[in-house]
Amino acid sequence: MKNKTAIFIFLFALLLLAFISDIFTGNASISVREAWAALFGTSGDAITDEIILNYRLPKAITAVIAGSALSLSGLLMQTLFRNPLAGPDVLGVSAGAGLGVALLTMLSGTVVYPIISSLGSMAQVIAAIAGAALVLLLILAVSARIKDSITILVLGMIFGYVASAMVTILQSFADPDSLKVFVTWTFGSLGGVTWGKMPLLLAFVLTGTAIAFFMQKALNSLLLGENYAASAGLNIRRTRFLIITIAAITTGAVTAFTGPIAFVGVVIPHFARAFFGTVNHKTILPATLLLGSILMLVCDVVSQIPITNRTLPINAVTAIFGAPMIVWIVLKRKKL
Amino acid sequence: MCLKANKHLPIHFVLSFFLLLWGCQSGQNREKGDGEGELLTSVTIGYADGFSIDHFGEYTKVTIHNPWTKEKKPYAVYYLCKTDTTTLPPDGIPLKVPLSSLVVNTFSYFEFLRLLDETDAISGVTDGFRIYTPAILHQIDKGEIVDLGDPFNPNVERTMSLKPQAIINSAYAQLDSYSERLVQAGFPIIYSLEWMEKSPLARAEWIKLIAAFFDKEAEADSIFTAIEGRYLDLQAKVKDVPHQQSVMAGDNFQGTWYVPGGNSFNATLFRDAGLDYRYRNNKESGSIGLDIESVLTQFGKAAFWIGCEADTYGELAEKDAKYLLLESVKKRQVFNNHSRTTPSGGNDYFESAIANPDLILSDLVKAAYPELLPHYSFTYIQPLEEEAAREK
Repeated sequence: MKNKTAIFIFLFALLLLAFISDIFTGNASISVREAWAALFGTSGDAITDEIILNYRLPKAITAVIAGSALSLSGLLMQTLFRNPLAGPDVLGVSAGAGLGVALLTMLSGTVVYPIISSLGSMAQVIAAIAGAALVLLLILAVSARIKDSITILVLGMIFGYVASAMVTILQSFADPDSLKVFVTWTFGSLGGVTWGKMPLLLAFVLTGTAIAFFMQKALNSLLLGENYAASAGLNIRRTRFLIITIAAITTGAVTAFTGPIAFVGVVIPHFARAFFGTVNHKTILPATLLLGSILMLVCDVVSQIPITNRTLPINAVTAIFGAPMIVWIVLKRKKL
Repeated sequence: MCLKANKHLPIHFVLSFFLLLWGCQSGQNREKGDGEGELLTSVTIGYADGFSIDHFGEYTKVTIHNPWTKEKKPYAVYYLCKTDTTTLPPDGIPLKVPLSSLVVNTFSYFEFLRLLDETDAISGVTDGFRIYTPAILHQIDKGEIVDLGDPFNPNVERTMSLKPQAIINSAYAQLDSYSERLVQAGFPIIYSLEWMEKSPLARAEWIKLIAAFFDKEAEADSIFTAIEGRYLDLQAKVKDVPHQQSVMAGDNFQGTWYVPGGNSFNATLFRDAGLDYRYRNNKESGSIGLDIESVLTQFGKAAFWIGCEADTYGELAEKDAKYLLLESVKKRQVFNNHSRTTPSGGNDYFESAIANPDLILSDLVKAAYPELLPHYSFTYIQPLEEEAAREK
């Protein structure tokens, strides 16, 4: 137990370090001293203050939110389906969000333009949430009729494929500029969440996380198998409904605000189990949130390294940078 | 100070920064209707639909129209003033002109700025490696112009660090997060919407818009009048050709052949060059996707092919033997637009051509009716070279 507390303290320290590093690194040449001054007052230069307070700070907070939410969603999916490959995208929610954004991008120059333009930059978020919600409703409608969780997993993936197929069709009709706008969205971006949008993202993610914390016992009993959990008095259908809803809402919200971000959600829960050597959600749940945030912050720092004047898409950095870390863990422990 | 109340600025120090940076006075002039002064003159815009420029005594109002609304609602309004004491209406973006530092996130403005002798104002660009204009490449090498990366996702921090007075950014039907960020930070964005114009002269006329920001309206007017004169002269020349040559356009991209719609920039160009284009009466303003079978049946007999992607006939044959069935290929009357390119992908056709429609038109006329322009040599397009297919 003492050991666990020590690890948690260590992870908190790491999170803090990663958070600060994320704020102190970037493409504008701002010294640590200037950044510090901007953070706690003013650096004397309005643009430096703007970059630190209104760009890097919300970006770092978004990294924490996205990293923890996607990892949480992945953990919930892995527990519900008892499948190590499950991740936030298995329910097809991310693909649904993608479909929403693709529809918006391709239709934005048509008769619906006045509606879209009146929403401003929230249009993309709303479209993504609508797409994600559509898939979620389909999944919930199906799950009410199906007893077996694995069937839901398969159906979720099918819905995801259908949404992706529709995106492909839309892309084939799109003009090159709209196509590039959409493709840029699929790169993922932590920098798009302004202070104005932050409360909405936080509301979705915090609600989901809070409910998940209250479900630790139910999640633990699910690990033993649905039959055992049912015989232990767990209302399987209600639990399943809640888990799917939380996972879909957190994933959908994050994807809507940042675009798709792969890898983190599938891998972090494994990482957390390996780190703490337990599957108990009382430990794994907070550990997953912490590790997800840390990885995302580190990935954001890495993605700022300019390569021929371009920064790397966060959606790619998570896998490219995260994979070696996981392989290292696996090699060290000989298993996950 | 050229300033207005902006609900997007949450932090006062940003406001105070711009108070220091520019000088005209905050526009709270309620006595004169909507805060506007008396309209004195408007700049004559002959072709472009996308903008208007009105002079109001102490300031100039530049309006960029919204091409996605029927009633031409403003997409953006700018109030340009020259002195620090001008009172401006509050419903637009205030700017003190002439500008001296600018981030340009669209290639078509390089030539406008060059023609106006304002290239030195450029402090940042995007996609530097794809730029053709040698002067700009030279300045990037010297570090005088900063490359900000992907034009669809430019580096926000670097853009802000340059502290440009304005940013020229392509506008699309939905707000991009780059523009949103910069607007929130108080940077004025000049939206580039010239690409929505349907005719070559209309696009070129946008030089008048950018000139207003440099207080060079008279220069822009004379530059455009000269271009227009040359364009119309040539257009008049081809009117009398006894037989209109038929033309096909575009190329195959992964199975789909994109040809210009009848209401598009290229279709207008073909019409003005006296070329017979099959889709000239089509209403589409973008491109039309065709499969190779439709292209062969619809354009098989076209005498000329403009906008081929290959450099040699050998390459064409290697790509797809079906190309050899086209009349234009048999007659060796195929042209690409690779005359001015750089090894890293820069192509002047996508840069200076927008500002020089007379030259694009001359290119087409030279290709189809060479006898009309005996002394002209191609600027942007060139005939495919004869070269045997490479051994596989």
